[in-house]
Amino acid sequence: MSTKEKNTFGILAEFKNPGHLMKAAKLTNKAGFKKFDCYSPFPIHGMDDAMGLKPSKLGYIVMGHGLFGFLGGLALQIWTSTIAYPINISGKPFLNLPAFVPVTFELTILLSAFGAVFGMFFLNNMPRHHNPLFNSERFKKVTDDGFFVVIESGDPLYNEERTRKFLEDAGAVHLELIEE
Amino acid sequence: MHHAKLIDSLTYPETANTHKLLFGIAAFAGILSIVGLFTDTEQFFFSYLTSFVFIASIALGCLFFVMIHYITRSEYGVTLRRIPETYASNIIYIAVLFIPILFGMQYLYPWTDEVLLANDQLIADKTPYLNTTFFIIRNIIYFAVWSFLGYKLFKNATTLDETGDWGIDTAQRKISAPGLFIFGFTVAFASFDWLMSLDPAWFSTMFGVYLFAMSFQVFFAVVILTVLYLRSKGLLTNTIKNVHLKDIALLFFGFTVFYAYIAFGQYFLIYYANFPKSILWYYDRLAEGYGTIAWMLLIGKFVIPFLVMLPAAAKSNMKIVGSMAVLIIALHFVEIYWIVMPLLHKGDVSLHWLDFAILISLSALFLGLFFNKFRKHNMVSNNDPKLQASLSKH
Repeated sequence: MSTKEKNTFGILAEFKNPGHLMKAAKLTNKAGFKKFDCYSPFPIHGMDDAMGLKPSKLGYIVMGHGLFGFLGGLALQIWTSTIAYPINISGKPFLNLPAFVPVTFELTILLSAFGAVFGMFFLNNMPRHHNPLFNSERFKKVTDDGFFVVIESGDPLYNEERTRKFLEDAGAVHLELIEE
Repeated sequence: MHHAKLIDSLTYPETANTHKLLFGIAAFAGILSIVGLFTDTEQFFFSYLTSFVFIASIALGCLFFVMIHYITRSEYGVTLRRIPETYASNIIYIAVLFIPILFGMQYLYPWTDEVLLANDQLIADKTPYLNTTFFIIRNIIYFAVWSFLGYKLFKNATTLDETGDWGIDTAQRKISAPGLFIFGFTVAFASFDWLMSLDPAWFSTMFGVYLFAMSFQVFFAVVILTVLYLRSKGLLTNTIKNVHLKDIALLFFGFTVFYAYIAFGQYFLIYYANFPKSILWYYDRLAEGYGTIAWMLLIGKFVIPFLVMLPAAAKSNMKIVGSMAVLIIALHFVEIYWIVMPLLHKGDVSLHWLDFAILISLSALFLGLFFNKFRKHNMVSNNDPKLQASLSKH
């Protein structure tokens, strides 16, 4: 089956319906697998819990960027208008905090948005032009009526035979070895 | 996907005497206030206007939410829509509460003063708009529009409860769409009439949005506390779930930012332009005790709620959201006080017992009217086409 010169990416298991997929996800999570994922044509409510996914770290990335934008914007304006190039604007103080609010606000928003978009790309390993799963003909069903679990070979608990047996017991209707 | 069923009782317990207690408080504080009318007439009218705008703005926020809810065909709010609907249907009584202000116009509004008009050309030029007759006509229009919208939307919704005719849902949208359009204009002009014209020399084109932003922020706080009160009585615990409250909390958070944006925007433009005719309004409101209040508003109405409710977990923790709601409602009153009172007590804050007596009286009346109506109808729109979707939300 598997050719030795190619690395295996993982085992692809197909399930009959969302209910079976959910059950398999729970079992896989319970068995202690970390590097696995579920694929379905539509979002399934409760899947995050079934897979034991932690809340996304994206919020912290956005927070960091937002704070950087806030402090950076404020620092830039304070430095330019009080130290680097103070200009008298209709007699207003050089350190004029209300006047700095719009730029600070906009930079906070801008960098938060950058953090959200690029942080999402980063967390999802994007951009990625090819995924080994596309090597499988059968996986194309995922956009129509296929429900799949993939356990990757990088998982510490991965063992080709035992994992295959595990997925069979979990109710898989079809198993396939995916090559890198 | 599971299909949630309506399992709670939809009728408010008949034995509850909430409304009677509230009416009692309102009457007691009201009688005390009337004593004040004779001892400190001018103070009475300023305190009355402050508390009146406080309850009117809450009702207007409710009316706006109900109309937005209908035209967006939203599902998330179906289970709790009856609460703002009931508040908004009481605008007709708030219209009656406006009448005392008409009798106090000579104390409240300097543009009614002939001597001032003769000496101040700038204000005299505004008399085609700022005159007693037109002021009364305008307010009749505002209250006619709002009372109609509030009453009609409530009436239709309760008819839907009984008949189950889903055509009513379409009718609600047909009322809400033009209703929102007119609402925008009437609220803006009402804010100019009630509050901005207290200082007829001053103007801010943002003032209408400013009052709206305040009203909509406080609306979420009021709805959250009303739901938490019902929960404490064990009502609707399986109908208005945490998912629904979380959505309201998210909007509450969002409109806290919106409020800050508008309130600061108004201040910022006037501060930066620094024209004597417009800056004086803020000059009075940043002096002495009023300056302390201004800082309190900045920190209490924006910085604290923003930082406290920023984490996702905080928005689903009803203890946190509830305490922020209390803070916002209290500071909403303080902000109206801060807008109105510098005209009576120039220079520094001077609290008067009438401020509290009238606030208690009108708020208790407002809540009493709410509970009096709320107990007579289903607490949830049980035949709403989108009720099932709302209940199944998770």
